Amino acid sequence: MALHDDHHHPHELRHHFDDELDEIRRGLVTLGSLVVANLSRAGSAILENRLDLVGEVRHGDEPIDALYAQLERETFQILALQQPVAKDLRLLVAATRILYEMERSGDLAVNIVNCLDREHGFPRRADLDVLLGRLVAASARVFSMGVEAIASLDENAGPATDSADDEVDELTGRLFTEIHRVSEEIGLDAAIELTRVGRFLERIADHGVNIAENITYVVTGSFPDGHEPPAP
Amino acid sequence: MDTTDLIPEPPIDLRTGGNAPTAPSHDRPAIFEVDGLDVFYGDFHAVQDVTLDIARNEITAFIGPSGCGKSTVLRCFNRMNDLIPTARVEGSVRYHGLDLYGPDVDPVQVRRHVGMVFQRPNPFPKSIYDNVAFGPKIAKYDGDMDALVEASLTKAALWDEVKDKLRDSAYTLSGGQQQRLCIARAIATSPDVLLMDEPASALDPIATLRIEELMYELKEEYSIIIVTHNMQQASRVSDRTAFFNIEVTDGGQRTGRLVEFSETATLFTRPQHPQTEDYITGRFG
Repeated sequence: MALHDDHHHPHELRHHFDDELDEIRRGLVTLGSLVVANLSRAGSAILENRLDLVGEVRHGDEPIDALYAQLERETFQILALQQPVAKDLRLLVAATRILYEMERSGDLAVNIVNCLDREHGFPRRADLDVLLGRLVAASARVFSMGVEAIASLDENAGPATDSADDEVDELTGRLFTEIHRVSEEIGLDAAIELTRVGRFLERIADHGVNIAENITYVVTGSFPDGHEPPAP
Repeated sequence: MDTTDLIPEPPIDLRTGGNAPTAPSHDRPAIFEVDGLDVFYGDFHAVQDVTLDIARNEITAFIGPSGCGKSTVLRCFNRMNDLIPTARVEGSVRYHGLDLYGPDVDPVQVRRHVGMVFQRPNPFPKSIYDNVAFGPKIAKYDGDMDALVEASLTKAALWDEVKDKLRDSAYTLSGGQQQRLCIARAIATSPDVLLMDEPASALDPIATLRIEELMYELKEEYSIIIVTHNMQQASRVSDRTAFFNIEVTDGGQRTGRLVEFSETATLFTRPQHPQTEDYITGRFG
């Protein structure tokens, strides 16, 4: 969907500029998809003790960083050369924020496998594994909702993703309780590393919410109530 | 110069605003209140049903495509349309609460209070000094003319550049300097409003920025209304922006309409009307 296809004009101008904006948006979706793919690898790694995936996840962050840098350059170039206003300006400002959210999420996927690497695999406990598996899935789902919002430009994406994030917060709380319960069995080091994994997964979902709220801002001109970005 | 006949004491009341969709509430008193303004040139209905307040000591920008009526509305503020024989104005324009088109109002007196600067610098074929002194002389100014000329040129940010050649012809100045001379000439008669019709469109970018910088200083003392095709200029200098557009009526006639009037920061980041969005983002063809 093109950014401006809600208005039809017989004599539309600035096709070239529209193409540039659509390219930024497509780039954001691609970047988000790379993060989702790497997050999926990190999830498999920690759920199945796949130490062979640790290197792959670290390696998988490189194209994410490269695309992040490229899209940031392109966004600043359009800001400088095209003097965008209104919805165009909001998209480009949101793009710079979304880029940051995605780059951080990519780093968090690497942090997750670093925890696994330090423990050379996690001790497996059925109750713990169930919660960890659900948290990986829920976190990936919320982050993906943010990425999908960039493609759909759904103005309700912010509130919808924020609601979906409630499950992530609840699962994170339950995971922490479970880690605490079995901490003597699994040992303090593993308990700490698993707690960090839970925290990283919870943060990734928060980044997904922020992405979706930025899309609500692009479409409507304001953030969902009470979710304005902090002042710089 | 006697100004008490047109500017009432005490000053006009604060308006609460909000009574018309196109009139944002002002935290400054309105200097002009326009209500249901229609302008005709013969049979041609140039502007239809414009309602807006112009705030005091602010810069208000009028933007919109050619033929949208923005210059026509601007010319209503100092009754310049009176100079066009077929022009007819309906509705009301109040200046400090007084009906600008009332039977007792003298258009010449109006123009003394509401100065105008045009697109092309149009100094008289006289010296720099005489250009500035021209208006006050006609108004039989009996104060210190040298001081008035210096003060006016200083306010127009031109004094330092011309103080040693006041008797030179105005035509020896650059385009940007000539335009600032025209501003000095306009403020020499002590107006409280400056109308500017594309004041920088004939100037290079540096001269343009100098005029914009000057406008920013002048609004301390004057209320300024600027018509501009340059949207970046409107967004850079103005406090409020009015967007006018052309509407084609059922009979196929084209007429100008006020579409949106908001604080400039709002209009250029979150325009409320799709027509405004299309125009300022350049999608209007």
